[in-house]
Amino acid sequence: MAAKKLRRAQLSQELCERLSRYQITTCQDFLCLSLLELMKVTGRSYYEVQKLLCKVSRACAPKMQTAYEMKLRKSANPSSAFLSTTLHSLDRVLHGGVPCGSLTEITSPPGCGKTQFCIMMSVLATLPVSMGGLDGAVIYVDTESAFSAERLIEIAGNRFPTYFDSDEKLFCMTRSIHLYRELTCCSVLKRIMSLEEEIISKKVKLIIIDSVASVVRKEFDTKLQGNLAERSNFLTRGASVLKYLAEEFSIPV
Amino acid sequence: MQREVGALPLAPALRARLAAAGFQTAQELLDTGPCGLSKEIGISKEEALEALQVVRQECHGDAARAAGGSGATRKCTALELLEEEQTQGFIITFCSALDNILGGGVQLTKITEICGAPGVGKTQLCMQLAVDVQIPECFGGVAGEAVFIDTEGSFMVDRVVDIAAACVQHCHLIAEAQQEEDHQKALETFSLESVLSHIYYFRCRDYIELLAQVYLLPEFLSEHSKVRLVVIDGIAFPFRHDFEDLSLRTRLLNGLAQQLIIIANDHKSAVVLTNQMTTRIGQSQSTLVPALGESWGHAATVRLILHWDSSQRLATLYKSPSQKESTIAYHITSHGFRDVQPPAVTPDAGGAEGNPRKRPRREEEKQ
Repeated sequence: MAAKKLRRAQLSQELCERLSRYQITTCQDFLCLSLLELMKVTGRSYYEVQKLLCKVSRACAPKMQTAYEMKLRKSANPSSAFLSTTLHSLDRVLHGGVPCGSLTEITSPPGCGKTQFCIMMSVLATLPVSMGGLDGAVIYVDTESAFSAERLIEIAGNRFPTYFDSDEKLFCMTRSIHLYRELTCCSVLKRIMSLEEEIISKKVKLIIIDSVASVVRKEFDTKLQGNLAERSNFLTRGASVLKYLAEEFSIPV
Repeated sequence: MQREVGALPLAPALRARLAAAGFQTAQELLDTGPCGLSKEIGISKEEALEALQVVRQECHGDAARAAGGSGATRKCTALELLEEEQTQGFIITFCSALDNILGGGVQLTKITEICGAPGVGKTQLCMQLAVDVQIPECFGGVAGEAVFIDTEGSFMVDRVVDIAAACVQHCHLIAEAQQEEDHQKALETFSLESVLSHIYYFRCRDYIELLAQVYLLPEFLSEHSKVRLVVIDGIAFPFRHDFEDLSLRTRLLNGLAQQLIIIANDHKSAVVLTNQMTTRIGQSQSTLVPALGESWGHAATVRLILHWDSSQRLATLYKSPSQKESTIAYHITSHGFRDVQPPAVTPDAGGAEGNPRKRPRREEEKQ
């Protein structure tokens, strides 16, 4: 949205040309300037610049919805609001399961079972909707190389023996879990940015990142000056992209 | 009328030409007329007419101000301000201890900032306020609508439904206890659907969308004149990443603060912002301070810091022009923001004015 070119914000051609002489081509550049600077750059009067500002803002601003419309939309398809974890007490506490459309974080001391939980959620996501799953693919970004495909099959076979009665079904399930091994912060960020197209093409219904902390702690030593800022920069950027993906596609992350 | 040409809000090129032609005051321009102006400076007649209209508008505004009318600069005595402040409403939070330290609740025409660590209840308080602003006047509310600008995506509609349902039920109980006619009439329009449809929600993904939305807010507020609360949930989040140039960030934040102050004053609404906490590494220890730096600290009039103390949530009034600094404890229940212990009440719901802060004991028994 920020990178939207001014041309598409319905500004006149000659105004766009004039602004590009000052290297102002996107809405972001335009809105970051103060009113006086805009007057100097566009050569227009104060009131006209205010009107231009409104026009450009309208091109970037989000759409309004009332809380009531949101509620109606949610109640229109209630079943897709949560991914049940099949642990009944956990589901009760979480009000239905892992929520779709938002980020969920799982933390614990080492060895408690985070990776096992993630593997189980991957199996659950591939199940058909009638069994409480999301009937879709899973993207698993693994930074600790802790994912074991054999364990995946073991969980699937023992948990749902009636469903995974044939090898065929097991292979089908494993084919829909896409594993990416990333070992550095940069590659994790690059992978997160590239996820949008993959989600659409592979019909992904669950994204798991296991784990964010390990790769961040390896690379950023907080005792060194400046690293804290870089680290929080990386984390917030990743978080905002993941939030956007979760909301846009209504999938749990 | 003696306004200098250089101070008029015209295009810079035009101003340069006028100065080169020797015009010094606005009066000279008005005396010349559009045709004369266009001939002297070499601009078209339409442009000259436009410029003169701008000048006339400015001078008219100046004259009105000089005559003591209601121009852009407000001049009034402290007595008038006192009367205004006394009749001004507050937005209650349903937690009487918090309302007490705030001096009655969240004040209109002021910017209130709520800072806190993640998970302490900032978004819950914002959602509670978005519902509470709609309480009808006969129950002690301001009967307004709410604009909710969300940058973090933590707005959960189901939770707002819970909070709104509890609030509506509370008002129903008060009306039953008091049996006054205007209560019944107000209750007809105060239902769950109406509460939800008067919360206007905007989801801004980055700081450009946030800036654009704030530029468009005055227009939106003049269309929806009943809005009394603007909540920006998460003002720190979009500004904390992707900013190599910190001076640009400070400038944008200051511009944002200015616009919000103008919006708060012009439309008589409260502006509530939530901020994150960041760690400041000192000599020997590190402390949690509100994010976005020292200069942002000047933007808000009232600052509330929410924090934990073992397992109890506390709220500290950190900065306020009229109340003293104090800390209270609060609770977040399934109904929303509440006191830690409900205050002891008599069966007839706290006196004739129907104070909605006191929850009648009957309500607890029904639960």
